[in-house]
Amino acid sequence: MTARALKSSFNAKPGVGSPAGAFSGVLLVLPILLTMGSLVFYPLVSTAWDSLHRVDPLQAGTPFVGLSNYVRMFGDREVGQAWRNTFEFVGIAVAVETVLGVAAAALINQVKIGRQWILAAVVLPWALPGVVSGVIWQWIYAPGAGLLNGVLMAMGFDFENHLWFNDSTSAMLLVSVVHIWRMMPLTIVIVLAAMQSIPLDLYEAARMDGASRLGMFRTITLPLVRGAIAVAMTNSTVSAFNLFDEAFVLVRNSLETRPILIQIYLEAFKKLHFSYGMALSLVVTLVSLLVSLVYVLRIHRNTSLD
Amino acid sequence: MRLLKTGFAFAFATVLLASASHSAWADDAKPFAGQMITVLLPSPQDATMAADFEKATGIKLDLQTASWDDVSIKISTALLAGTAPADVTEFDWSWTGQFSAAGWYVPLNDAIDQATLNDIAGSKIFDVNGNVLAIPYTNDFRVMLVNKKHFADAGVTATPKTLDELVSAAKAIKAKGIAQYPVGLPLSATEGASTSWYLLTKAFGGDLFDNDMKPMFTSPDSAGYKAMAFELMLLKEGLVDPASTGLKDSEINETLFAKGLASIMISGEPGRLGQYSDPAQSVVAGQVAAIPVATESGKTRSFGLLEGLGIPKSAQNPDAAKEFIRWMTSKEFQMHNYGNGVLPTRTSALAELQQQGKLISGEALVEQAPTVEALFPQGAPTWYPQFSLAVNTSINSVAKGEITVDQAMERIAQAVADAKAQ
Repeated sequence: MTARALKSSFNAKPGVGSPAGAFSGVLLVLPILLTMGSLVFYPLVSTAWDSLHRVDPLQAGTPFVGLSNYVRMFGDREVGQAWRNTFEFVGIAVAVETVLGVAAAALINQVKIGRQWILAAVVLPWALPGVVSGVIWQWIYAPGAGLLNGVLMAMGFDFENHLWFNDSTSAMLLVSVVHIWRMMPLTIVIVLAAMQSIPLDLYEAARMDGASRLGMFRTITLPLVRGAIAVAMTNSTVSAFNLFDEAFVLVRNSLETRPILIQIYLEAFKKLHFSYGMALSLVVTLVSLLVSLVYVLRIHRNTSLD
Repeated sequence: MRLLKTGFAFAFATVLLASASHSAWADDAKPFAGQMITVLLPSPQDATMAADFEKATGIKLDLQTASWDDVSIKISTALLAGTAPADVTEFDWSWTGQFSAAGWYVPLNDAIDQATLNDIAGSKIFDVNGNVLAIPYTNDFRVMLVNKKHFADAGVTATPKTLDELVSAAKAIKAKGIAQYPVGLPLSATEGASTSWYLLTKAFGGDLFDNDMKPMFTSPDSAGYKAMAFELMLLKEGLVDPASTGLKDSEINETLFAKGLASIMISGEPGRLGQYSDPAQSVVAGQVAAIPVATESGKTRSFGLLEGLGIPKSAQNPDAAKEFIRWMTSKEFQMHNYGNGVLPTRTSALAELQQQGKLISGEALVEQAPTVEALFPQGAPTWYPQFSLAVNTSINSVAKGEITVDQAMERIAQAVADAKAQ
């Protein structure tokens, strides 16, 4: 082999464009393809197919029923109520998590010393399982020795033995509070990461032009974290549609506050209408994806503009 | 010397043979020794159950307990997923229709002898076309439980026989400040709220369905309607704790009645008498008694909610599981388990407890027992879960003032119609 050939082979980028490179590329992608295929796409397709059949352990066979499971949900009053409750939960959760999450991220971003400790403390509720959060807040909301009534009474209000869950409006709000408490840290982390990537020169220049702090936040920070906010909102939306644990612990099966996921659980595992439960699950997935798509499209547009 | 040697060898051989035969006998008596089974039952259960069972059979026992509602969830989700929730599980009377149709449990005809089935008369409720799907281990029917001390302190001496007398007694107790909310009644969206309404429907002299399984509770003069209106009245009169909208029956038993905060359990479980009478488990020991269910007419009625032990078809150790069922439903264990609040299902065990004077409120139980009816004489329907869910969510909504009794009855009837149509 000549020295020239040796040099050429040394400088070549191994794998790029060659069959060997393509093979190693496939090998690298294979684990995620297999994982996604077996744990996401196969169950999804299988569920979609089963939802077109009657899968009911109490009845023999699984005949093809077409879209009847989907048509049935339009006349199901309990499902209708559960959807209304779910949209309320989603509306409250996404709005509060976004507004307070961005505000909290902006405040934490100002902290120079011990920020990591504050962040660790803020993230803690997110690390807790939903059931644990539900039980903690159940004690807080308890009518007798509950912290909430105790604090309100200490402030001079008449809340002795007040039952928060006997009123559907306050019950909805309090379940939302627990969900927000658990999920808002994720919004904070996502938005904070975006805020920290903004070049400080921009603020320096704005300050020299006489911009106020609010003005800088409105004209520099917010536009540059729009993408992150959209990601956080997508996450908030999907998790609010998936609300189950906190609601199940706090209000059990109560119809007035029942989110759609509890309705699905009751249909599938209590009433044993398995394929109806599957159809409902797919619709929930579709609706949450559609709502999230609005944010994703906005990200795309913002990114293009940026 | 030679003789001595021969004699020694003979004696040694005898010892060896004896020990070998003893070992063989022991293996015969404990054919599943060394195996392990899982058992899933509602709490509480006997604290030494695992150790006692292993001592008796050599089988290791992994006992898992949770509240009835949670056990129900765990069982149905596991079975739907095609896995066994445990080798032996709770099998409630209300699941018979559904579980039989799904074919989830093995028939136990070969596990239990005829004499046992005759002794446990309630096993018929789990018999579907000759297949016994579960063996009853707890004789659950409904009586009313009262705190005698509260009654005496309020000056109520006569045992209430009618619902009016019961309400008067509760009002007297409240008026004297003995209990702020004298009546214990679950109003949450859980099974306990449903069973209380079923009992009150019987107490108002009616039934839930006619022979064609048509609802009999929609008319305002029906017993079911009156029963729900009665529950609402108790709540509005301040006789029932408003927090009951969030409490399961077990929570009301344990956090209100067992602590002396309530005086009357409308839908009382006789099995709990043992617990309530034990000073180590209750602060109202010596104060609690069962009384026959007070009714509108004064003639007592009740219904049974037998709980059995069943083996899922997907159980890993079905033979050892059968051994557990035989052990847990034996007369000896049932008599021992009465101390844990589990009323025996064997007639012979009940009779012996009564004979020994150990059956607490024995007279009331003996008076109530012949009046115990099946809630569904034709067998629990496959749509029972839909019905029960509609009942308890409707009671919960009525109690929270979200809907009227009229609307609740319509909602329940509609749920039944929908369930039947599916």
